[in-house]
Amino acid sequence: MWTPPPAKGTRRLTRLALLTAIALTIFLVEAQIPVPIPIPGVKLGLANIVTVYAVFVLGCGDALLILVCRVFLGAVFSGQMMTLFYSRGGGLLCWLVMVLLRRVLTRRQIWLCSPIAAIFHNLGQLLVAAVMLGTWVVLAYLPYLVIAGAASGLFTGLCAQFLIHRLDAISRS
Amino acid sequence: MNRRTAALSAALALAVLLCAGFLLWRQSHAQPGTTAQIYQFGELVEEIPLDQVTESYTIPLEGEDGAENVIEVAPGRIRVRRANCPDQVCVRQGWISDSSVPVVCLPHQVVIQITGGEGDVDAAAG
Repeated sequence: MWTPPPAKGTRRLTRLALLTAIALTIFLVEAQIPVPIPIPGVKLGLANIVTVYAVFVLGCGDALLILVCRVFLGAVFSGQMMTLFYSRGGGLLCWLVMVLLRRVLTRRQIWLCSPIAAIFHNLGQLLVAAVMLGTWVVLAYLPYLVIAGAASGLFTGLCAQFLIHRLDAISRS
Repeated sequence: MNRRTAALSAALALAVLLCAGFLLWRQSHAQPGTTAQIYQFGELVEEIPLDQVTESYTIPLEGEDGAENVIEVAPGRIRVRRANCPDQVCVRQGWISDSSVPVVCLPHQVVIQITGGEGDVDAAAG
Protein backbone atom coordinates (compact mmCIF):
# COMPACT_ATOMS: atom_id res chain seq x y z
CA MET A 1 0.00 0.00 0.00
CA TRP A 2 1.23 3.48 -0.87
CA THR A 3 2.54 5.63 1.97
CA PRO A 4 3.12 9.35 1.60
CA PRO A 5 6.68 10.52 2.37
CA PRO A 6 7.05 11.89 5.92
CA ALA A 7 6.51 15.63 5.98
CA LYS A 8 9.08 17.84 7.68
CA GLY A 9 9.28 21.38 9.04
CA THR A 10 6.55 23.77 8.01
CA ARG A 11 4.73 21.16 5.97
CA ARG A 12 4.49 18.86 9.00
CA LEU A 13 3.43 21.69 11.28
CA THR A 14 0.73 22.76 8.85
CA ARG A 15 -0.56 19.23 8.48
CA LEU A 16 -0.68 18.73 12.26
CA ALA A 17 -2.45 22.06 12.77
CA LEU A 18 -4.96 21.28 10.02
CA LEU A 19 -5.76 17.84 11.43
CA THR A 20 -6.07 19.24 14.96
CA ALA A 21 -8.49 21.87 13.68
CA ILE A 22 -10.55 19.24 11.86
CA ALA A 23 -10.62 16.98 14.94
CA LEU A 24 -11.58 19.89 17.20
CA THR A 25 -14.40 20.93 14.87
CA ILE A 26 -15.79 17.40 14.71
CA PHE A 27 -15.48 17.13 18.51
CA LEU A 28 -17.37 20.38 19.16
CA VAL A 29 -20.11 19.66 16.62
CA GLU A 30 -20.59 16.20 18.10
CA ALA A 31 -20.80 17.66 21.61
CA GLN A 32 -23.94 19.56 20.48
CA ILE A 33 -25.73 16.33 19.59
CA PRO A 34 -27.35 14.67 22.61
CA VAL A 35 -26.53 10.98 23.02
CA PRO A 36 -29.70 8.85 23.03
CA ILE A 37 -28.24 6.38 25.54
CA PRO A 38 -28.11 7.85 29.07
CA ILE A 39 -24.93 6.13 30.21
CA PRO A 40 -21.98 8.28 31.28
CA GLY A 41 -19.12 8.07 28.80
CA VAL A 42 -21.07 6.71 25.83
CA LYS A 43 -20.60 8.71 22.65
CA LEU A 44 -19.81 8.21 19.00
CA GLY A 45 -16.33 9.75 19.25
CA LEU A 46 -16.18 10.94 15.65
CA ALA A 47 -13.07 13.03 16.38
CA ASN A 48 -11.20 9.76 16.76
CA ILE A 49 -11.43 9.25 13.00
CA VAL A 50 -8.64 11.84 12.86
CA THR A 51 -6.66 10.09 15.61
CA VAL A 52 -6.88 6.71 13.87
CA TYR A 53 -5.97 8.29 10.56
CA ALA A 54 -2.97 10.06 12.12
CA VAL A 55 -1.68 6.92 13.87
CA PHE A 56 -1.67 4.96 10.62
CA VAL A 57 -0.58 7.66 8.18
CA LEU A 58 1.54 10.18 10.11
CA GLY A 59 2.91 7.93 12.82
CA CYS A 60 2.36 7.48 16.53
CA GLY A 61 4.17 10.58 17.80
CA ASP A 62 2.34 13.02 15.54
CA ALA A 63 -0.96 11.32 16.39
CA LEU A 64 -0.28 11.86 20.08
CA LEU A 65 0.41 15.57 19.47
CA ILE A 66 -2.89 15.97 17.62
CA LEU A 67 -4.76 14.00 20.28
CA VAL A 68 -3.39 15.97 23.25
CA CYS A 69 -4.02 19.34 21.55
CA ARG A 70 -7.54 18.35 20.53
CA VAL A 71 -8.46 17.08 23.99
CA PHE A 72 -7.12 20.19 25.68
CA LEU A 73 -8.67 22.65 23.22
CA GLY A 74 -11.91 20.67 23.23
CA ALA A 75 -12.21 21.09 27.00
CA VAL A 76 -11.39 24.81 26.72
CA PHE A 77 -13.84 25.52 23.90
CA SER A 78 -16.70 23.45 25.30
CA GLY A 79 -16.16 25.10 28.69
CA GLN A 80 -16.11 21.79 30.53
CA MET A 81 -12.71 21.48 32.09
CA MET A 82 -13.85 18.36 33.96
CA THR A 83 -13.99 16.46 30.69
CA LEU A 84 -10.28 17.12 30.29
CA PHE A 85 -9.42 14.52 32.92
CA TYR A 86 -11.77 11.85 31.59
CA SER A 87 -10.85 12.32 27.92
CA ARG A 88 -7.14 12.51 28.67
CA GLY A 89 -7.15 9.24 30.60
CA GLY A 90 -9.18 7.53 27.91
CA GLY A 91 -7.29 9.13 25.04
CA LEU A 92 -3.84 8.17 26.32
CA LEU A 93 -4.78 4.53 26.96
CA CYS A 94 -6.46 4.38 23.56
CA TRP A 95 -3.36 5.82 21.89
CA LEU A 96 -1.10 3.35 23.68
CA VAL A 97 -3.21 0.41 22.51
CA MET A 98 -3.20 1.76 18.95
CA VAL A 99 0.59 2.07 19.03
CA LEU A 100 0.81 -1.60 20.01
CA LEU A 101 -1.80 -2.68 17.46
CA ARG A 102 -0.04 -0.66 14.75
CA ARG A 103 2.85 -3.15 15.00
CA VAL A 104 0.66 -6.14 14.20
CA LEU A 105 -2.04 -4.62 12.00
CA THR A 106 -1.76 -2.94 8.60
CA ARG A 107 -3.85 -0.17 7.17
CA ARG A 108 -6.24 -2.76 5.80
CA GLN A 109 -7.24 -3.67 9.35
CA ILE A 110 -8.08 -0.24 10.73
CA TRP A 111 -11.70 -1.34 11.08
CA LEU A 112 -10.42 -3.86 13.64
CA CYS A 113 -7.87 -1.64 15.38
CA SER A 114 -10.36 1.12 16.08
CA PRO A 115 -12.99 -0.83 18.09
CA ILE A 116 -10.30 -2.42 20.28
CA ALA A 117 -8.76 1.00 20.91
CA ALA A 118 -12.23 2.45 21.61
CA ILE A 119 -12.88 -0.18 24.27
CA PHE A 120 -9.61 0.74 25.96
CA HIS A 121 -10.53 4.43 25.64
CA ASN A 122 -13.72 3.75 27.56
CA LEU A 123 -11.86 1.62 30.09
CA GLY A 124 -9.33 4.41 30.70
CA GLN A 125 -12.10 6.95 31.04
CA LEU A 126 -13.88 4.75 33.56
CA LEU A 127 -10.72 4.21 35.61
CA VAL A 128 -10.16 7.98 35.77
CA ALA A 129 -13.81 8.40 36.80
CA ALA A 130 -13.41 5.76 39.52
CA VAL A 131 -10.38 7.59 40.93
CA MET A 132 -11.99 11.03 40.69
CA LEU A 133 -15.32 9.94 42.15
CA GLY A 134 -13.52 7.89 44.80
CA THR A 135 -15.65 4.81 44.24
CA TRP A 136 -15.33 1.65 42.20
CA VAL A 137 -19.09 1.26 41.74
CA VAL A 138 -18.80 3.17 38.45
CA LEU A 139 -17.18 0.01 37.04
CA ALA A 140 -20.75 -1.32 36.89
CA TYR A 141 -20.89 0.59 33.60
CA LEU A 142 -17.98 -1.31 32.10
CA PRO A 143 -20.07 -3.91 30.20
CA TYR A 144 -22.14 -1.13 28.62
CA LEU A 145 -19.02 0.79 27.70
CA VAL A 146 -17.32 -2.25 26.15
CA ILE A 147 -20.32 -2.85 23.88
CA ALA A 148 -20.71 0.85 23.07
CA GLY A 149 -16.97 1.18 22.42
CA ALA A 150 -16.95 -1.76 20.03
CA ALA A 151 -19.91 -0.34 18.08
CA SER A 152 -18.71 3.26 17.88
CA GLY A 153 -15.11 2.15 17.28
CA LEU A 154 -16.20 0.00 14.35
CA PHE A 155 -18.01 2.99 12.87
CA THR A 156 -15.12 5.46 13.29
CA GLY A 157 -12.66 2.77 12.12
CA LEU A 158 -14.58 2.20 8.90
CA CYS A 159 -14.76 5.97 8.38
CA ALA A 160 -10.98 6.25 8.82
CA GLN A 161 -10.41 3.32 6.50
CA PHE A 162 -12.50 4.81 3.70
CA LEU A 163 -10.90 8.20 4.33
CA ILE A 164 -7.38 6.80 3.92
CA HIS A 165 -8.26 5.08 0.64
CA ARG A 166 -9.78 8.28 -0.76
CA LEU A 167 -6.88 10.45 0.39
CA ASP A 168 -4.38 7.99 -1.09
CA ALA A 169 -6.17 8.28 -4.41
CA ILE A 170 -6.07 12.08 -4.23
CA SER A 171 -2.38 12.20 -3.26
CA ARG A 172 -1.39 9.94 -6.13
CA SER A 173 -3.32 11.75 -8.83
CA MET B 1 -8.33 -12.63 6.33
CA ASN B 2 -5.13 -13.78 7.99
CA ARG B 3 -4.81 -15.63 11.30
CA ARG B 4 -3.97 -12.54 13.31
CA THR B 5 -7.03 -10.66 12.08
CA ALA B 6 -9.23 -13.67 12.75
CA ALA B 7 -7.88 -14.05 16.30
CA LEU B 8 -8.32 -10.38 17.13
CA SER B 9 -11.85 -10.24 15.69
CA ALA B 10 -12.76 -13.36 17.63
CA ALA B 11 -11.43 -11.81 20.86
CA LEU B 12 -13.40 -8.64 20.17
CA ALA B 13 -16.60 -10.53 19.44
CA LEU B 14 -16.09 -12.65 22.55
CA ALA B 15 -15.62 -9.57 24.75
CA VAL B 16 -18.83 -8.02 23.41
CA LEU B 17 -20.80 -11.24 23.83
CA LEU B 18 -19.49 -11.77 27.37
CA CYS B 19 -20.51 -8.24 28.32
CA ALA B 20 -23.97 -8.64 26.79
CA GLY B 21 -24.42 -11.94 28.58
CA PHE B 22 -23.29 -10.46 31.88
CA LEU B 23 -25.72 -7.54 31.49
CA LEU B 24 -28.63 -9.89 30.81
CA TRP B 25 -27.66 -12.04 33.79
CA ARG B 26 -27.36 -9.00 36.04
CA GLN B 27 -30.71 -7.61 34.95
CA SER B 28 -32.51 -10.88 35.56
CA HIS B 29 -30.95 -11.19 39.03
CA ALA B 30 -31.46 -7.59 40.18
CA GLN B 31 -33.28 -7.29 43.49
CA PRO B 32 -34.36 -4.14 45.30
CA GLY B 33 -31.71 -2.70 47.59
CA THR B 34 -32.34 -1.11 50.96
CA THR B 35 -29.92 1.77 51.42
CA ALA B 36 -29.08 4.62 49.06
CA GLN B 37 -25.74 6.38 49.43
CA ILE B 38 -24.99 9.74 47.88
CA TYR B 39 -21.35 10.58 47.23
CA GLN B 40 -19.99 13.96 46.22
CA PHE B 41 -16.31 14.53 45.39
CA GLY B 42 -15.67 10.99 46.61
CA GLU B 43 -17.15 11.54 50.05
CA LEU B 44 -20.33 10.12 51.49
CA VAL B 45 -22.72 13.02 52.08
CA GLU B 46 -26.02 11.26 52.64
CA GLU B 47 -27.25 7.80 53.51
CA ILE B 48 -30.94 7.02 53.12
CA PRO B 49 -32.70 3.81 54.21
CA LEU B 50 -34.95 3.51 51.17
CA ASP B 51 -37.18 0.85 52.72
CA GLN B 52 -38.21 3.31 55.45
CA VAL B 53 -39.16 6.14 53.11
CA THR B 54 -42.92 6.62 53.06
CA GLU B 55 -43.25 9.91 51.22
CA SER B 56 -41.25 11.40 48.36
CA TYR B 57 -38.97 14.32 49.09
CA THR B 58 -36.07 16.09 47.42
CA ILE B 59 -32.52 16.82 48.52
CA PRO B 60 -30.75 19.78 46.89
CA LEU B 61 -27.06 19.01 46.51
CA GLU B 62 -24.82 21.96 45.81
CA GLY B 63 -21.34 21.67 44.36
CA GLU B 64 -18.67 24.06 43.17
CA ASP B 65 -19.37 27.08 40.93
CA GLY B 66 -23.15 26.91 41.21
CA ALA B 67 -23.35 23.22 40.39
CA GLU B 68 -26.62 21.74 41.57
CA ASN B 69 -28.26 18.32 41.54
CA VAL B 70 -31.74 17.96 43.00
CA ILE B 71 -32.13 14.38 44.16
CA GLU B 72 -35.59 12.90 44.61
CA VAL B 73 -36.12 10.14 47.14
CA ALA B 74 -39.22 7.97 46.90
CA PRO B 75 -40.25 4.72 48.63
CA GLY B 76 -37.74 2.13 47.43
CA ARG B 77 -36.18 4.23 44.69
CA ILE B 78 -34.10 7.31 44.02
CA ARG B 79 -33.20 9.54 41.06
CA VAL B 80 -31.72 12.86 40.06
CA ARG B 81 -34.75 14.99 39.36
CA ARG B 82 -33.05 18.11 38.10
CA ALA B 83 -29.44 19.16 37.51
CA ASN B 84 -27.65 22.03 35.85
CA CYS B 85 -24.87 19.87 34.44
CA PRO B 86 -24.26 20.23 30.70
CA ASP B 87 -24.97 16.67 29.59
CA GLN B 88 -28.04 15.82 31.77
CA VAL B 89 -27.01 12.17 31.70
CA CYS B 90 -27.72 11.81 35.42
CA VAL B 91 -31.29 13.10 34.98
CA ARG B 92 -31.99 10.90 31.98
CA GLN B 93 -30.78 7.82 33.82
CA GLY B 94 -34.02 8.01 35.80
CA TRP B 95 -34.97 5.99 38.85
CA ILE B 96 -32.78 3.28 40.30
CA SER B 97 -34.00 0.78 42.85
CA ASP B 98 -31.34 -1.94 42.87
CA SER B 99 -27.61 -2.16 43.23
CA SER B 100 -26.83 -3.16 39.64
CA VAL B 101 -26.00 0.31 38.28
CA PRO B 102 -25.37 3.60 40.10
CA VAL B 103 -26.48 7.03 38.93
CA VAL B 104 -23.46 9.13 38.08
CA CYS B 105 -23.11 12.83 37.30
CA LEU B 106 -19.59 13.07 35.92
CA PRO B 107 -19.38 16.88 35.57
CA HIS B 108 -20.48 17.44 39.18
CA GLN B 109 -18.74 14.35 40.60
CA VAL B 110 -21.90 13.00 42.19
CA VAL B 111 -22.59 9.27 42.58
CA ILE B 112 -25.78 7.69 43.92
CA GLN B 113 -25.56 4.01 44.65
CA ILE B 114 -27.85 1.51 46.29
CA THR B 115 -26.54 -1.19 48.57
CA GLY B 116 -28.08 -3.95 50.61
CA GLY B 117 -30.76 -6.36 49.52
CA GLU B 118 -30.18 -9.82 48.09
CA GLY B 119 -28.90 -8.86 44.68
CA ASP B 120 -25.74 -7.11 45.81
CA VAL B 121 -23.61 -8.59 43.04
CA ASP B 122 -21.48 -5.55 42.34
CA ALA B 123 -20.29 -5.12 45.88
CA ALA B 124 -19.03 -8.68 45.66
CA ALA B 125 -17.58 -8.21 42.21
CA GLY B 126 -15.68 -5.13 43.28
